[in-house]
Amino acid sequence: MTEEDKQSPFKEPSVFPWLQTALDMWINMAKATPPSPDNALDTQTSTQNRFTKQLDTNLNLFKSFSRMMSEPESAPAVANSFIALPEILFKMAKSGFDAALQIQNHLIEKAGKIGKSTEAYKFDNLDQGVFEALNDVYEKELRQYFKIPPLGPTRFYQERFNEMLDKYNLFETMLAEFLSILYLPMEKSFKVFQEKLQQMAEEGNLPKETKESYAIWIKILEGHYINLFKSKEYTDVLHRMLSQLEDFIIIRNKTLEDFLQLFPIVTDQDVDDLYKEFHLLKKRVNKLEKQLDISPNTLTIVK
Amino acid sequence: MNSSKITLDLILERMAEDAEKVQQRVSKASEILQGQLNYELGQTPYEIVYEEDRVKVKHYSRNENAENKLKVPLLVVYALINRETMLDLQPDRSVVKTFLEGGIDLYMVDWGYPKRKDRFLTIDDHVNGYMNNIVDFIRKKNNIPQINLMGICMGGTFSVMYSALHPEKIKNLITTVTPSSFDTDKGLLHIWMKDLDADRMVRTFGNIPGDLMNLGFLLLNPARLMIDKYVGFMENMDKKEFVENFVRMERWIFDSPDVPGETFRQFVEDCYKNNLLIQSKMFLDGKRVDLKKLTMPLLNFFGEYDHLVPPTACNQLSKAVGSRDVEDVNLETGHIGIYVSSKFQKLFAPKIVQWLKDRDKEDVAASKTDLARPAVRKKSAKEGGKFKIDKNSQSGTVRAV
Repeated sequence: MTEEDKQSPFKEPSVFPWLQTALDMWINMAKATPPSPDNALDTQTSTQNRFTKQLDTNLNLFKSFSRMMSEPESAPAVANSFIALPEILFKMAKSGFDAALQIQNHLIEKAGKIGKSTEAYKFDNLDQGVFEALNDVYEKELRQYFKIPPLGPTRFYQERFNEMLDKYNLFETMLAEFLSILYLPMEKSFKVFQEKLQQMAEEGNLPKETKESYAIWIKILEGHYINLFKSKEYTDVLHRMLSQLEDFIIIRNKTLEDFLQLFPIVTDQDVDDLYKEFHLLKKRVNKLEKQLDISPNTLTIVK
Repeated sequence: MNSSKITLDLILERMAEDAEKVQQRVSKASEILQGQLNYELGQTPYEIVYEEDRVKVKHYSRNENAENKLKVPLLVVYALINRETMLDLQPDRSVVKTFLEGGIDLYMVDWGYPKRKDRFLTIDDHVNGYMNNIVDFIRKKNNIPQINLMGICMGGTFSVMYSALHPEKIKNLITTVTPSSFDTDKGLLHIWMKDLDADRMVRTFGNIPGDLMNLGFLLLNPARLMIDKYVGFMENMDKKEFVENFVRMERWIFDSPDVPGETFRQFVEDCYKNNLLIQSKMFLDGKRVDLKKLTMPLLNFFGEYDHLVPPTACNQLSKAVGSRDVEDVNLETGHIGIYVSSKFQKLFAPKIVQWLKDRDKEDVAASKTDLARPAVRKKSAKEGGKFKIDKNSQSGTVRAV
């Protein structure tokens, strides 16, 4: 016995007697079934025939399977597949672990950059590294699972559903980036406000009323927002976010329509097609009315 | 060091005082908010005189005792964004009321709330469809060949298009905060719209949701519109009148109908992206919108601090039209302030009433003496009470200062 053979659970003597017993049972059962006489077909319904045939097929299939499994030469292949299973699971876990590690590395890198990122009132070259990293990790490590081609008759629907999950994840990442940019002026305005207060304190000029302090801060915040909104970086992120949102909504609606097809309900697409036809028809009628100088109010319907 | 310590003590003392005041304010505010509040909009009585699909026309009864009542009725066309109730926000701040007291026979378009079935409606359907039918209806009802037309914001842009395509039906044109030239980077909307994929938005949403547009407008100035505005409310919530006015304004702002998808797409593509209107290159139903055909008198209002439609988007119109009677009025306020600020209430609507009356008189005089109206080309820059000649202008501009 080789080392590999020793490790295999299928080389254990206990497995073969069980397989042998199962095989014998199916063979005996098959023998016990009376052979179908040809004239029996005339007295049975087609449904019964189909059922019996299907049972025979299943029994034969199981017999073959049991026989194959009990043959000593097929054992290593089965054993290998069972050995491979933990390996697959390990690889999947490793992939997830790598992704987590990658995020952590980016976060550590980002933490080192805090305070160095951008200046007050300036929004060019924004350091959005964390979001790029998140997106990168998602696209490299996780997105692939949504791209696995589904099989079988429902493959089309599964594919659509996976695409919806994929688009939702992309939109979430983009939304996080957009919200983080939107929060930047707040962050910066507090910093500038603090500096301003410090300067005023040094001049012995601190605002006495909270309202005055608030007025200073809101003005700083407004200035930051105006600068942010005019920046190309913001416009780009805004449009990318809108685009991801639109991608998600389009696929979400299609998935819902797939689901709605199960019910006797018209979908948005059906209604839109109808509305479009109605709209064009109405335009033609209006044009004809104008050509003939007919006002809709002058028309009478004769019953 | 001593002085800063004293200041800090003072600050803490003030904070304690403030906390006490806030407590009193909140207690009074809770009484007010739980009491009876009047925050109804559009309280001036009107009658619906025309209906077509979702579109209605409101007719207001004017003051029949007003001096020099205008013979020609005025049709006001509001934008497809938000609602025309802004012109009749509250009894003491109502453009509608000022018009009626000034003797104007007033009609106003209520665009209603577009439904999914309206997503294929184009600008042409609004301008040459609904607007044309309404103008014809008013002309027929009053047995007159022409009416006065006033457009607000996008409604102003529609009115410009309409007047260029049907100049024979419009006697005087008034545009207020009306974008006509879109190639400017002064307003954030103009910057954002340049890269907007309108086709995709329309494919996704059908009609553009009012809530999405509202969010976009709030994001134009979040510091003021999402923070400062509500801080202001908290500070004044113990004043009943303030609360009523504030809630009225909130009701109006967030009463946002969806915009028909196809109209939105065309407006973004033809106007914001390609700036076709001001170049007289825009086409509606195969017909070119030639601004030189705008030969009727034109009064063009805009706001100096308008962050949605900046002055540069409005003030090119007067140079592009064919009319010789043109006046620009630049008010030192924002997009909405023109209509709702109590200060500009005294300037804006009375100015329109007077301007229309002047042209009504001219018309009477001209028809009596059979003389052509003398050419007047006025361009004013700032409104503040009196007018001043702008010597730099080639056409002897009248500048209101």
